[in-house]
Amino acid sequence: MEHVKSFEEYTDEELFSRVDHNEFESERITAPRYSYWKSVFRVFFRNKVNIVILGILLLVIVFAYVYPLIIGYDAKVDPYINLMDSTSKHLRPSAAIKKYGFNLHWILGTGGSGQSTFDAVWYGSSISISLAFICAAINMTIGVILGAIWGFSKKVDAFMTEIYNIVGNVPMILIISVLAMLFQPTFWTMVFAMTVIGWIGLAYFIRTQVVIIRDREYNLASRCLGTGTFKIAMRNILPFMTSVIVTMLATEIPSYISYEVFLSYIGMGMSDMSLGKLIYASETAMVTPGWEIEFWAPVVVASVITVVLYVVGQNLGDASDPRTHM
Amino acid sequence: MGKYIAKRLLHGIVSVIIVVLVVMLLIYSLMDREQIFSSDTVYAKQTNNQRVTYRYQRWEDYGYLDYFTFSDYLNSLVKNGELDEETRGKVKLGKTADADGELTAKYAAEFRDYYESQGFTVERLDTVMSGRRVANGGAAQLFAYRDIPLYKRAWRYFTGIVFFDNIHYVPQENDIGERKLTFTLYDPSKQDPESGKKVFSPAILGNGTKHKYLVYFDGKFPFIHQNMATVKLGLSYSVNMNVDVFDTMTLSQGSYTLSKVTYPTGKVVDSADDLHTATYISGSRQTSQLLMDHYTDDYTNVSAVLAGSSKLGYSFIIGIISTLMAYILGLPIGLFMALHKDGVVDKIGTVYIMFIIAVPSLAYIFLFKAVGGKMGLPTLFNMDSTSKLMYVLPIVSLALPSIANLMKWMRRYMIDQMNSDYVKFARSGGLTEREIFTKHVWKNAVIPIVHGIPGSIIFAMTGAIITERVYVVPGAGNLLTTAINMHDNSVIVGVTLFYALLSVVSLILGDVLMSMMDPRISFTDKAR
Repeated sequence: MEHVKSFEEYTDEELFSRVDHNEFESERITAPRYSYWKSVFRVFFRNKVNIVILGILLLVIVFAYVYPLIIGYDAKVDPYINLMDSTSKHLRPSAAIKKYGFNLHWILGTGGSGQSTFDAVWYGSSISISLAFICAAINMTIGVILGAIWGFSKKVDAFMTEIYNIVGNVPMILIISVLAMLFQPTFWTMVFAMTVIGWIGLAYFIRTQVVIIRDREYNLASRCLGTGTFKIAMRNILPFMTSVIVTMLATEIPSYISYEVFLSYIGMGMSDMSLGKLIYASETAMVTPGWEIEFWAPVVVASVITVVLYVVGQNLGDASDPRTHM
Repeated sequence: MGKYIAKRLLHGIVSVIIVVLVVMLLIYSLMDREQIFSSDTVYAKQTNNQRVTYRYQRWEDYGYLDYFTFSDYLNSLVKNGELDEETRGKVKLGKTADADGELTAKYAAEFRDYYESQGFTVERLDTVMSGRRVANGGAAQLFAYRDIPLYKRAWRYFTGIVFFDNIHYVPQENDIGERKLTFTLYDPSKQDPESGKKVFSPAILGNGTKHKYLVYFDGKFPFIHQNMATVKLGLSYSVNMNVDVFDTMTLSQGSYTLSKVTYPTGKVVDSADDLHTATYISGSRQTSQLLMDHYTDDYTNVSAVLAGSSKLGYSFIIGIISTLMAYILGLPIGLFMALHKDGVVDKIGTVYIMFIIAVPSLAYIFLFKAVGGKMGLPTLFNMDSTSKLMYVLPIVSLALPSIANLMKWMRRYMIDQMNSDYVKFARSGGLTEREIFTKHVWKNAVIPIVHGIPGSIIFAMTGAIITERVYVVPGAGNLLTTAINMHDNSVIVGVTLFYALLSVVSLILGDVLMSMMDPRISFTDKAR
């Protein structure tokens, strides 16, 4: 058995070695390496449900954007190809497959002019999703920037709060319908109508958050130490807001899809065959026995899209809160 | 406190006025006024000059502009005595301005001068010939029109919102006997039809006023009614022809309910006429033998007694029950979810909340309708039915989303409070969980919820667009969208004003209620 030296048996030279004073090293603060976004995704993917949901989202996007491209869907022609064939209208999926043979087009049956419900639903999804993302991008950008200014400046605050109180009382449907009547109710009119005052609610939300954080002690201390307002905004407040903004985005994007469906249903939608327009057009099919699927198909797809986007957004919002990164 | 509320109210009214101005600007100045003809079948049939004048008439009806024709002008001259009937008959527009007779040319020039001095645009359309005859609708036209400027429109609107009835309402030249208000203890319309016995029921009757009955009692809530001051939010044109928006929302609907009615002449007839609503229409009694038999004066314009509630009434019944359900169910479930966080109920509840937030409201309302229909509940509303079952699905469809909403916020506020430092301190101080909950956490968590209560009660009245549409409820929710679709501009303005006022009031009430619940919140400057 090997002899283990006891502590006393070591000489001083063996136990200690001299370290020179190092100015640079002594200033260094060591902590585990932390990357914010890496941690966000680590936390996000730790939950296995998120992977499944993300998979569904990917599938939806592929069907909405790639599938119409592959089949060469033309919104001006395809819905009317079977217009003259009276035997092809309002077919159940089984009947449609029997008539045309098994093909992806016919698995949801046919609509009122003999068109494929499946194709129409996915083309409509692409319009609805695009609308939601574009509106969200515009509203969020304007809302966050103006909301931050609104929260920081007391003068702007007094002015904007009055504007907010006034604009909040104008019915949103009114503004949208006036704009839709002013211009043709196209996709971009709809974007304009949804964003022209849509940002103000988001800006108000951000303003409230900024006001809450603005006067916290650490910001007071930071200001006393001479940090500029811009730097405080970018360094002290913006990181704090990231999770709030992501959570907001999670509710915003699906809400535009829902709102578009709602507008179309009350007859104020756009002219493009979006999901809402499909639902509106097939409303009578819901109460006709055998035709229900024409109505439920776009409704279910719209619901799936909104739920998936909402869940992804919420969980991303949770993951982007640094307190969950432990 | 009173001073603060007064200040808030004043602010609110200013912002309501601005809202109305904005809406007026939007619909009268920005919206394309050609739109109103897109579904007008009469317009499609009109030709030539008639088509042009038809357009201006419609625009006047919809409130876009002031419009006067040459014959309007001549008639007003006759009425003022500046022109006699005989000469009036001789004034006829020629085929062109040059072809006018001397007399016509004189009056046409006067017409032009008069209206142009007031900022009108005067237009003359020459006769359109088809071969040797005047073409269909091609008669010559002379008219003046002017867009109503925003300030004038707003001034007219706001000064006309409340109408105070007075004995000088009937034009002075009408001979109606003594103009006066009479107070009677025995309402004449309530006389027992069989025995002719008087029934004790105080009322104030007017002569010379617009309404015959200014104050009266009847069996309908709130039992005492008045017509002294009536609210006028704007006369409807296409939604409910010539009926005020406010009346459109508040008058009953449905089928006629007949009863024995004793008319002023003493005649007793089975009728649905509600004599209490009688208003004055000049010379109306002379127009028909029936009216001559029934009435002794020109107060002949009555509305009918209808079986159903008003638009606001239906919306309110459905709205208030669903709001109550939401608070009764949503708050306890939200509390339970917070107290047993991550438990089974919390997980199910969260999924439910997510479902309501994420799924388009249209989708789940149709889902409820489909499920309810399978269970045998009536899915369509019928005003003539006495069944209470038809209320179930609309109420459920409205309640389920608001339950989710309340659950979400209650849970959030409770969890925030339970994690705060004062709760840890109270716990370390030895308070029981029960004490902490009832004395501290609950009181703090419920404050933001309280703020929303007045709003949710008041807005129960205005109805829900989709729910009412899906179940065909004759409520107020669809009024705005119908008005927009039918381009009924004054209804749009009226409804917007109504909604804006409600939202201002409910915000103030919410703040007051909140400050009553939470002594830390004070609106007086001194306490700050």
